[in-house]
Amino acid sequence: MASISLKNITLDFPVYGVSGRSLKKKLLKLSTVGKINYDDGETVVIKALKNINMDLSSGDRVGLIGPNGAGKSSLLRVLTGVYEPLHGEINVSGKVGSLLSLSLGLEPESSGNENITIHCMVNGMKPAEIENKRPKIAEFAGLGDFLSMPCRTYSSGMRLRLAFAIATAIEPEILILDEVVGVGDSTFLDKAKKRINSIIEKSKIVVLASHDKEIIKSICNKIIVLKDGEIQFTGAVDEGLAFYENSP
Amino acid sequence: MNKRMSRLALLDIQQGIRSWHTWLLLGVQDIRLRYRRSVIGPFWITLSMAIMIYTMGFLYGKLFKVDLSIYYPYLAAGIITWTLIATTITESVEAFFQSANYILQSKLPYSTYILRIVTRNFIIFLHNLLTLLPILIIFKVKISFLILPLLFFNMALIFICGFCYAYIIAIVGTRYQDVKQIIVSLTQIFFLLTPIMWMPSMLPERFGLFAELNPFYQLINLMRQPLTGHLPEVFTYVYTFSLLATGFIVLFLLLRRTRHRIAFWI
Repeated sequence: MASISLKNITLDFPVYGVSGRSLKKKLLKLSTVGKINYDDGETVVIKALKNINMDLSSGDRVGLIGPNGAGKSSLLRVLTGVYEPLHGEINVSGKVGSLLSLSLGLEPESSGNENITIHCMVNGMKPAEIENKRPKIAEFAGLGDFLSMPCRTYSSGMRLRLAFAIATAIEPEILILDEVVGVGDSTFLDKAKKRINSIIEKSKIVVLASHDKEIIKSICNKIIVLKDGEIQFTGAVDEGLAFYENSP
Repeated sequence: MNKRMSRLALLDIQQGIRSWHTWLLLGVQDIRLRYRRSVIGPFWITLSMAIMIYTMGFLYGKLFKVDLSIYYPYLAAGIITWTLIATTITESVEAFFQSANYILQSKLPYSTYILRIVTRNFIIFLHNLLTLLPILIIFKVKISFLILPLLFFNMALIFICGFCYAYIIAIVGTRYQDVKQIIVSLTQIFFLLTPIMWMPSMLPERFGLFAELNPFYQLINLMRQPLTGHLPEVFTYVYTFSLLATGFIVLFLLLRRTRHRIAFWI
């Protein structure tokens, strides 16, 4: 059984470079103790997530919707384990597969095949397992001979197909997708839906962030509306979409 | 809270080492990509290093009036080891930025990305070692085969030491972006300050300690002594082990404080 439970998660996101994160400032601070009073406003802290509570269990296909900057990506990164919040409790049980951004994942100079090896390994597969899965990944990606070309030569759709094939190849119990599904063409979308449904059939969890209401409608059975880092609504898809459209 | 952070810090190192498949592959892939379109591939490393050592050895050997049969092996082993240490340090500043695509996508221990850098530089080091072979043969340097296990042991020491300090530099360098410039200029200065091109015996006696206490000199000795047919001094080992212990403790304390924040800094 896969499950996700977040209790009172708050994520403070430090942003540097607003007034610079240079050593000089730290050193100046050390050497001029008491003389110049640099207030600690030099790093801006953004509350990316406030008091997030959610409980997901097997069979949940959750659509995450919200305006830009609502904290969708941050929340997905917390679920993946990339960001570790200091406040709150997080429990994720089950093997996580994630596709958080399509351009970030693939190494542009490496070939498709090399990227399969590297990313499967990063996702925790053993070399023998990767060789087992390779034909399946290649088939789903449908890239043919392009697999031996460097990934920088791929179109964004091709990159997405490969990335999606790799992310789902580990047969995750929890699949986390960020915005990416919308980039593919309709054939890919159908294939992706099938793949997502087969993950669901194994009674697992999918969390998908998207602006596209159609995609959410066709894949998800639950919706979370996020705004300013807070959950505004959790519940059925239709109600949630109506809520989202009517909210200011 | 503190206890949990300590545990997670140690776990990061432990799991990183255990995922050797991953960092070995990432390191090898870095080398592959660098020389993908060239005919002789990574042997460019060997070739350019050879040209540098062979010309420098002749010039500086004459300038310092040292017997070339002593100077050549000394310089070659020194430069090769120095290159290993210096590039590991300078590249580690950007370790996390370079691996950002993996860090922001999946949950791997951060030590994996450090090991990637150290591995990559060791592969280059092994290529560079080949330049030493002709020198050892031409100048008939006597190396007993018994020294080989010692060589491997010392390489392991440098690897571990490199890992600790590269990790520290990577964390600080990710948080404070000026560190890169500082490190680059410091390594340039240390190349001249460390007995690589010159020998400590050329110094006036009162400056002797200045060379002996230089950590880079001691680390270089770990490789240079066996490679030129000598045994490293006991002091070299004492120094290296204290360097290692210090490095590990600093790394642990730093990691305990900052590990969970690294992803935010990228």
